[in-house]
Amino acid sequence: MSEMNALSAAVEKGKRNDAKLLTQQLLDAGHKPLDIVEQGLVPGMSAIGEKFKNNEVFVPEMLIAARAMKECMILLEPLLAKAGIKPKYTAVIGTVQGDLHDIGKNLVAMMWKGANIGVIDLGTNVPPEKFVEAIKAHNAQAVGLSALLTTTMPAMKTTVDAIRAAGLTSTKILIGGAPVTAEYAKEIGADAYGTDAASAVDSLLALLEA
Amino acid sequence: MNSTPRQRVRDALDHRQPDRIPIDFGSSFITGIHCSVVAELRRHYGLEERLVKVVEPYQMLGLVEDDLKDAMGIDVTSIFPRKTIFGFPNEKWKEFRTPWKQVVLVSDHFRYKVESNGDVYIHPAGDTSAPFSGHMPASSYFFDTIVRQEPYDEDHLNVEDNLEEFGLMTEEDKAYWRREAEALRGTRRAVLTHLGGTCLGDIALVPAPFLPHPKGVRGIEDWYMILVSRPDYVKEIYNRQSAIALKNLETLHGIVGDLLDVVVVCGTDFGTQNSQFCSVETYRDLWMPYYKRMNDWIHTHTTWKTFKHSCGAVDPFIEPFIESGFDILNPVQCSADGMEPGHLKRSYGDRITFWGGGVNTQKTLPFGTPDEVRAEVRKRCEVFGPGGGFVFNAIHNVQARTPVENVVAMIDAVRQP
Repeated sequence: MSEMNALSAAVEKGKRNDAKLLTQQLLDAGHKPLDIVEQGLVPGMSAIGEKFKNNEVFVPEMLIAARAMKECMILLEPLLAKAGIKPKYTAVIGTVQGDLHDIGKNLVAMMWKGANIGVIDLGTNVPPEKFVEAIKAHNAQAVGLSALLTTTMPAMKTTVDAIRAAGLTSTKILIGGAPVTAEYAKEIGADAYGTDAASAVDSLLALLEA
Repeated sequence: MNSTPRQRVRDALDHRQPDRIPIDFGSSFITGIHCSVVAELRRHYGLEERLVKVVEPYQMLGLVEDDLKDAMGIDVTSIFPRKTIFGFPNEKWKEFRTPWKQVVLVSDHFRYKVESNGDVYIHPAGDTSAPFSGHMPASSYFFDTIVRQEPYDEDHLNVEDNLEEFGLMTEEDKAYWRREAEALRGTRRAVLTHLGGTCLGDIALVPAPFLPHPKGVRGIEDWYMILVSRPDYVKEIYNRQSAIALKNLETLHGIVGDLLDVVVVCGTDFGTQNSQFCSVETYRDLWMPYYKRMNDWIHTHTTWKTFKHSCGAVDPFIEPFIESGFDILNPVQCSADGMEPGHLKRSYGDRITFWGGGVNTQKTLPFGTPDEVRAEVRKRCEVFGPGGGFVFNAIHNVQARTPVENVVAMIDAVRQP
């Protein structure tokens, strides 16, 4: 197995110490940081995401894989920044106003990062105007809105309305969360609904690459 | 002839046809009603005007008092745990104005701060010197936990840190149970309680919003990760925790005897909307031995029925739940993958009681019309009702902003099918 494949396997299994070591070895051997991200880390996260979609692994396994990738990125990010390399796409994410439940949102953010999408995580209880500001400030092509509660679902609509009213008509809006459905996404004018964190990667890329 | 409410519930739990489908609302922290809806129901039924007591401040659940239970035909009553999820006893009630402008009654130990933006922050255990452990945004209707995670080294964890909240019943606890049990002697309703310390790894309790300064692994994602990276640590917590629980069960049984009909053993969620939080193999390895240990004790020494709550798509877990000694499953989230009512009833209906499943609280109850609510409730009663094994409850708590006419339509549909 090449070291690149070994790195993918270490990320997939969530072996963070092995993954960090392999990242360092690849850097020392002269591999470009972006190649390490794209050929080492992203395939590992993609593999775990596939297994997650198929119910072969579950949230804990996804979390430890994402943690392993995150720790590798600590080594790689300064080098990518120094070389002026930015991810191809940037997405803003947050839970809507009134909602503090962020497990789902965090999983989606991790999986997006795992697909080498730049993620601006605004955290929880985010007012509509903050989403608008962040989309503009970071030239984000997409935004993810999350809500766990039936009582905060209306804030999704308010946020979608605010984004569109700010003239951000081409920003792709994805929504997700326990009570949310594809019909609801359609009803409030969002572009897509993600059933789970791994599918949210496919949905986002499908929208951006359409 | 009409049964007593208690007999009706016992018949259902023993998988015998009751005279009508028994109903629960308000007996537990997972079968409750938001305090704003309790107030509206009191008005609807023309009951004496009084402020609603918040029995569970985390989800802001209102006390369903006996007059409202009578009006709604509720068959279950309860003894609530001595302390709330924020670690204080419910006593010496005082008024509290909620962000949605309802005046309710909360415990005098409910110590909080309202920020200039209207957000409410609450202290654990009424201890104003401890950092806040709960936050309710101004536009929200519930608290959520503020995770207070100290740095830790995953390879060098101390199990005592995650056991701080588990101990033997104190004299104060015992006195509380004696008083509560005495007050319920002679009740016509079935009696439910939440057992303390039997809940293994409930993600709502792991961050310990009741402890002033929690130690150990308390973050939500941190906890999920140690299930995979340190199963030995998790097992040791469950092992020690369940050993303490067995002693407390014995003490409790000595105090309340057979007054109780149902005990909520655990509320850990194993399901998501379309999958599970872990594999069945992991469940069998990490949880089942300890659940079995507690449930077996209960079945050997008492007449109590054991209640397991788990949201989500738990069809693959129902068989192992039964093997673990659970008699009751709640909330029976029929909209989740694999949770089709007919399938559940056919596959498990003679071996486990469905306590819930009555109506969808993510869609129909809050957003549907009264006719849609009635239709869904009737259908569920037709599927789950025959032969007992069904206690009517919505799928989890009735949430804030649920129209009162929908709640009334639901109750009417169960009582007059």
